[in-house]
Amino acid sequence: MAAQARMRSAKVLLINLGALGTEVAKNVVLSGIGSLTILDEHEIVDEDLRTQFFISKEEVGQKRLEAAKPRIQDMNPRVDLRTDVDNFKRKSESYFEEFDLIIGTDLSREEIRTINAISRKYNIPLYIAGLHGIFGYIFVDLIEFNAIEEKEKSSVATSLGVISQNREVVEVTDYVDDEKSKAFEKVITKHIYQPFEISLKQATLNGKLTRRQLKRLTNAVPLILALFDYDSDFSKLNTHNLKESAVAICKQLGLSEDNLRPDYIEMFVEQAGVQFAPVSAVIGGALAQDVINILGKRQSPLNNFVVLDGLTLDMQIFEL
Amino acid sequence: MGDPSIVKIVGQKNYAKLRSVKVLLVGAGGIGCELLKNLVLMEFGEIHVVDLDTIDLSNLNRQFLFRQRDIKQPKATTAVRAIQHVSNSKLVAYQSNIMDTEKFPLSWFSEFSLIFNALDNLEARRYVNQTAQFLHLPLLESGTAGFDGYIQPIIPGQTECFDCTTKETPKTFPVCTIRSTPSQPIHCIVWAKNFLFSQLFASSTSVATDEDLGTEDPQEIERIKQETNELHELQEYIKSGDNSCIPDIITKLFVSDIEKLLSIENLWKNREKPTPLHNFEISNQLNTDFSSVWTLQEQVNAFAEVTKKLMKRLATEKEIEFDKDDTDTLKFVATAANIRAYVFHLPVKSLFDVKQIAGNIIPAIATTNAIIAGLSSLASLRVLNLLKHIPPTDPKDLYMAFTAKASNISSNRYLSNSQLATPNPRCPVCSIARGVISLSTSALKSITLGELLDAIRTKYNYPGEVSLVDKSTQRLLADFDFDDLLGKSLSDMKLGQGSLLLVADERDDEEELKCSAEFYLQLDATGNKLRLPEIEVLSFKPQAMSPQEDEPDYILNGNGEIIIDEDNGDSRKRELEDASEPAAKMAKLDDDAIVLLD
Repeated sequence: MAAQARMRSAKVLLINLGALGTEVAKNVVLSGIGSLTILDEHEIVDEDLRTQFFISKEEVGQKRLEAAKPRIQDMNPRVDLRTDVDNFKRKSESYFEEFDLIIGTDLSREEIRTINAISRKYNIPLYIAGLHGIFGYIFVDLIEFNAIEEKEKSSVATSLGVISQNREVVEVTDYVDDEKSKAFEKVITKHIYQPFEISLKQATLNGKLTRRQLKRLTNAVPLILALFDYDSDFSKLNTHNLKESAVAICKQLGLSEDNLRPDYIEMFVEQAGVQFAPVSAVIGGALAQDVINILGKRQSPLNNFVVLDGLTLDMQIFEL
Repeated sequence: MGDPSIVKIVGQKNYAKLRSVKVLLVGAGGIGCELLKNLVLMEFGEIHVVDLDTIDLSNLNRQFLFRQRDIKQPKATTAVRAIQHVSNSKLVAYQSNIMDTEKFPLSWFSEFSLIFNALDNLEARRYVNQTAQFLHLPLLESGTAGFDGYIQPIIPGQTECFDCTTKETPKTFPVCTIRSTPSQPIHCIVWAKNFLFSQLFASSTSVATDEDLGTEDPQEIERIKQETNELHELQEYIKSGDNSCIPDIITKLFVSDIEKLLSIENLWKNREKPTPLHNFEISNQLNTDFSSVWTLQEQVNAFAEVTKKLMKRLATEKEIEFDKDDTDTLKFVATAANIRAYVFHLPVKSLFDVKQIAGNIIPAIATTNAIIAGLSSLASLRVLNLLKHIPPTDPKDLYMAFTAKASNISSNRYLSNSQLATPNPRCPVCSIARGVISLSTSALKSITLGELLDAIRTKYNYPGEVSLVDKSTQRLLADFDFDDLLGKSLSDMKLGQGSLLLVADERDDEEELKCSAEFYLQLDATGNKLRLPEIEVLSFKPQAMSPQEDEPDYILNGNGEIIIDEDNGDSRKRELEDASEPAAKMAKLDDDAIVLLD
């Protein structure tokens, strides 16, 4: 199968082996990816032991990448696993050119901007993900991607044209499956993506959700976006300034600030940047599933911002 | 020493509680391995893991705690050993069937604060669900099939139980049926596609012979080496590209492997023995009609011919995936399955039929298991009311969740959630009142069936016309015109520890009847002669039993997306926005779908 062959030849770069990086590494190595390179320069601290399972108590103080490597490789000896104890910011731009896909975890806004500029320059699909306690997000920039779907034809034929801000149906082909004697159609949908920084600055939900959906929208959306204002330095974060940032984000998104809940603001202040194993399992699982999907080029990819609210177990996808 | 990250989520006080909580994890397969890892990292005080199965080669590409060297080892103990290096919890593993009432009496379950189901079959799910109902223990139910998955917290008495909605039964087969004792053609097709083909042509688990085997026991090493060598031998045949090996491959698969099975006499006590394919010959006579059933000779010829072809392809392609539209791979699977069917005296299928069946086998997906296990562990904190800032939650305000995008339910939701429903009053499981009767060993001999029945009748206000059934054996013990046994003692009736008794109101033409009640007998060493549980047995109106479907407040459009009726004022229903139906139906599959067991 061509999809499997593509997987086998794919070269993926994973930046940072924290809670999320660990889940993503597990999932893509199990899937039988061709080559995985992991970049991480951190040393193991006690905190890591509660979110990561490729390291152990005895290894505190060692480089976490070096400690984890044999356990990652052991899951699937056939994956070409490369590790590099370094920071991606010290790499020259051309270092990234050889990769088919880049996954960035635990990155600050500034770092996301840097890696995104590189991924755009070399036309490489990029996945970004982060955790805030029981909340988490995935941001995707595939630049442009044609998703192919084959489905049984319904009474209303799929028509060409724009279907949402980032999606457009560009080709519909009808065919008949002789065995099942049913009419099918093959639909090609073009997904268009914005770079992270532009998405963040222009993000709006106006006209994208119904009134009731807006009302029920989880606070996690404005609050996760608001946390990007702090660029991963949460030392000065308090309920007052987070609320201020969130109110500004609500205005930009077209949400009512009256829906901001004090308990959510409180949770975000305490949990900003906190890594938590169950949430990293969900986010890391969803991210890896999409990576495996697009490397095999099958169904429509995530486009382009996904938010998990771990309190209600709701996980919505937004086109920002 | 506290743990900063989890303390920020649960708070200092709840962290101390979490460290003393004892949970039960049923299943250490696809979801179970992932769940165990999460529960350990979350620092639950004590985690008990039960799984009857042993590890199979086909588990390795998704059950990340298992390695090649662990094949044939018990899942539960191996999983616990593999996660020990990060564990701060007390871990206890059992290689047993959770439905073993001697090993796991009801009192054993009652030690846990929460049960996680990570099961792959309906029978055990139902059993654990019923057990949870008896003990009023919260249960976190979960399941996956391909890219579809769901989690559902069950709070007995307050929210819908596993049996409140009818379940579609996906056809699942235990590994040993596929490997050793096929009894239907489909078992042979699954064997050919998911075991044989994938090992020979698409194995993502290489056979390493110089790997650290993780044991010093010479017998163990011998066993693992033999396993490994046999597979290795077949893979070597295929890789050699040497056509003269083909008769050896056929001999290995359909003669020597079958003889090995025959030597395990226990397997054939109640089954027809397979007949090894002795004295086969390969000729050039090939059948090209895909819709007819080929003769054995035609199957063997086609198998030899297509194996030759695939060996040649493997040299350049390195790896070949099964694809029902790739005629070579289909022919290999169909002929291998059919020859195996001959050996086991089962019906043989046309290539066309095999194509249909093989195309419907849904593989287990590692990432779906990871996501679902993540949700299940996350939901547990709220079920146990351990989240900081979140006041104790009314069970009806808890959420179930299921995959939405991957299941083509919604394009703008990765997961959908919905609040838990109240118990279905017509549910055959949770509408029955349940409780534990404790009694002393001597009471078993001294109390008669009639005395027990009278005590129950008085305590719960049952009328004279009741029936009493021993559910464990489905024996009728008494009803209004069968009182012969009432004078016998409980031990005469072979009732004792773990017996299940069902009491039902048998009156006709009454406007209101008492609900049925089920009692579990538990021997009590503390000296209580007989103690009946403090439970409420409600009444119901038989007329209300006629099914009445609620109008759905959403419709499915042609693209499989859901359109909600905006004007519906029912707030409970509105919670189902963008969701379609409860998780139970989420896992619904095509009629033909087949799900592989872990």
